[in-house]
Amino acid sequence: MPFPNVRLANRPLHFLYLCDCSGSMAAQGKMQALNQAIRQSLPGMAEVARQNPEARVLVRAVSFADRASWHIAQPTPVEQLQWVDLQAGGVTAMGEALELVAAELRSPPMEERALPPVLVLISDGQPTDDFEAGLQSLLRQPWAQKAVRLAIAMGHDADLEVLQQFIGSDPGARGGGGLPVGEVPGASGQAPLHRPGKSPRRPLQASNATALAQYIQWASTAVVGAASMPASRVAGAAAEGNIPLPDLPPTVMDPTDDVGPLVW
Amino acid sequence: MTWILPPGTSLRCGSLSAPLQVLRGLGGGTQGQVYEVELAGERLALKWYLPACISRDRRLPLRLAESIRATAPNDAFLWPIALLRPTPESAGLIRSREPGFGYLMDLRPAGYVGAHEHVGGHLAISLRNVLRAGFFLADAFHALHLRGLCYKDISLGNLFLEPSSGRILICDNDNVDVDGQDPGSVLGTPGFMAPEVLLGQARPGANSDLFSLAVLLFRLLTRHDPLRGQLELAIRCLDEPARRRLYGEDPVFIFDPADARNRPDPIEHAAALLTWPIYPEGLKALFEQSFCRGLREPGQRALTGQWRRALAAALDQRQLCPSCGQETFPEPGASGASCWNCGTALPAPLRLQLPHSQVIAAPENALHPHHFDPLLEEDLRRPLAQVEAHPSDAGVLGLRNLTGERWIAELASGERVPLEPGRTCNLAPVRALTTPAGPIAVLHPGRP
Repeated sequence: MPFPNVRLANRPLHFLYLCDCSGSMAAQGKMQALNQAIRQSLPGMAEVARQNPEARVLVRAVSFADRASWHIAQPTPVEQLQWVDLQAGGVTAMGEALELVAAELRSPPMEERALPPVLVLISDGQPTDDFEAGLQSLLRQPWAQKAVRLAIAMGHDADLEVLQQFIGSDPGARGGGGLPVGEVPGASGQAPLHRPGKSPRRPLQASNATALAQYIQWASTAVVGAASMPASRVAGAAAEGNIPLPDLPPTVMDPTDDVGPLVW
Repeated sequence: MTWILPPGTSLRCGSLSAPLQVLRGLGGGTQGQVYEVELAGERLALKWYLPACISRDRRLPLRLAESIRATAPNDAFLWPIALLRPTPESAGLIRSREPGFGYLMDLRPAGYVGAHEHVGGHLAISLRNVLRAGFFLADAFHALHLRGLCYKDISLGNLFLEPSSGRILICDNDNVDVDGQDPGSVLGTPGFMAPEVLLGQARPGANSDLFSLAVLLFRLLTRHDPLRGQLELAIRCLDEPARRRLYGEDPVFIFDPADARNRPDPIEHAAALLTWPIYPEGLKALFEQSFCRGLREPGQRALTGQWRRALAAALDQRQLCPSCGQETFPEPGASGASCWNCGTALPAPLRLQLPHSQVIAAPENALHPHHFDPLLEEDLRRPLAQVEAHPSDAGVLGLRNLTGERWIAELASGERVPLEPGRTCNLAPVRALTTPAGPIAVLHPGRP
């Protein structure tokens, strides 16, 4: 006779993509690259979800251009998710996208008990609407405060300042606010800040399709894993935020890395 | 997945005479990536570390080299076989800023699945095989601890099991170290870490392994977490600070007889409430020992040898419900026991009396050398006999001789019948068996 048909009680883990679909995303195949990166990441994400019996991973997506709208409105179990391609065209209503997410992170409709949500904002430009207001209404929600907020900058025209505001302050940058994002340490006359390499608490700069795919895969697997079932701990790792974020993917030696600033 | 060792790469390493062919990537995490490789015609697994992991853990190559010299404590470990560093010519093939290093181990055989598949309710497995998996796990830690080693970071993620047999494999053996020798860098996985380690008051060692072992056994046996009850329900967002409270600052065992604050919720924690009553008292007592006093007093936790004994004893008590067929584990000699599944009263079973113990005659229950000789440790790897139902009449129970020697069965009539190796005899007319390991008396219920 089999083991009784019971399983570990689990909590929902809401994973939300906020995808920039402005007109500039149509250039150099960026929109296609993002669609591909997300689609390719789904099997790995489903596998991580299965390995984490404590979590029920539910995916949604918001797209924003002239207006923001739900691309996937229903919280969808990752193994059932079919990614429909996003289309580029319009301006960058990022603030409105944050408003949409804020409304969904209110309780209800949010469950009473859950794992920290994961919000991934992907953009290649500057917001054209009231970003500040959107961010404020988002961060008024306790679930948004608890959320793991990640940002991916596509290409070099993305507004890193805005993406950093979405993530929140970077605890890796010592001495208060630190340097404005993107500024060369020491260039402003302030004391150089120690910022070793890239950090998940800063916008992840995807300057080519390979890097984008790696970051999307990392967010949808390693981060989902960390938010749903804790990973192995090492001594001395700073306890940052309410979920310790996993290492970023290794920088794979890619010929395009050394080609120049922009490969789009 | 971006592979730092692209499939098809032929890698030369200092310690190997032949090149290593990378066949395919098997998986990867934040520590490193695992590949299937071929070396001199043999298929093996290769774990290759990422630079971030290597820079965090400077003693890693030393520990691996020591483990490789020491060899595996027993066959449950996918143990490192060789430490590999690429030759200067091969280093350029590795798509990473620093070439790093890795180690070879055996491939995980087909049929083994991650323990999370069981805990997540994704696979069918018998209670017998769950108990056997628990036994093999305790047995593996027993062998490890007897060597003076400790594992430091056991969790569901590095345990694999074979549902059809209950055999286990433990992988990621790269944190194994001599107990107390070096603080090391790994602390463990929250939920499996001992409270004193989670709170930063102690470094992982054999005593914290015992806590992690108890958690893992509890999760295998109940598909639930020992510290998640009502106190978890009070937590809205289960994040790091909440986990620290639940597992470190104020941990309460959900079945603590003296502290009812954290009892399972009938709806949210139904698995624990359904499965806990299945198991014999001797086993439950070890959980209480480990999760009540043992939470704060590491020296009070149940030892590996105690777990082995209790799990082996539970298997000996296994009896099938005559009504629903479910596996039950009534206390020996207790009257009035009923099936946990359907409530049917369990009849007194046919029992096999051995020099050192008693085993219920239920299909798949087995006789082992330790049943005959009190000086032998519990071991489930070399059964001497197994109880089997007749292939066409499930009501007829027989005992199969799994040894290479002839046994003699003595019938109630006094007649003596030989039982050749591999043959099974119907137990109904048998009074006793004579085996080279010792005598077996067949105790029929209701017969003098």
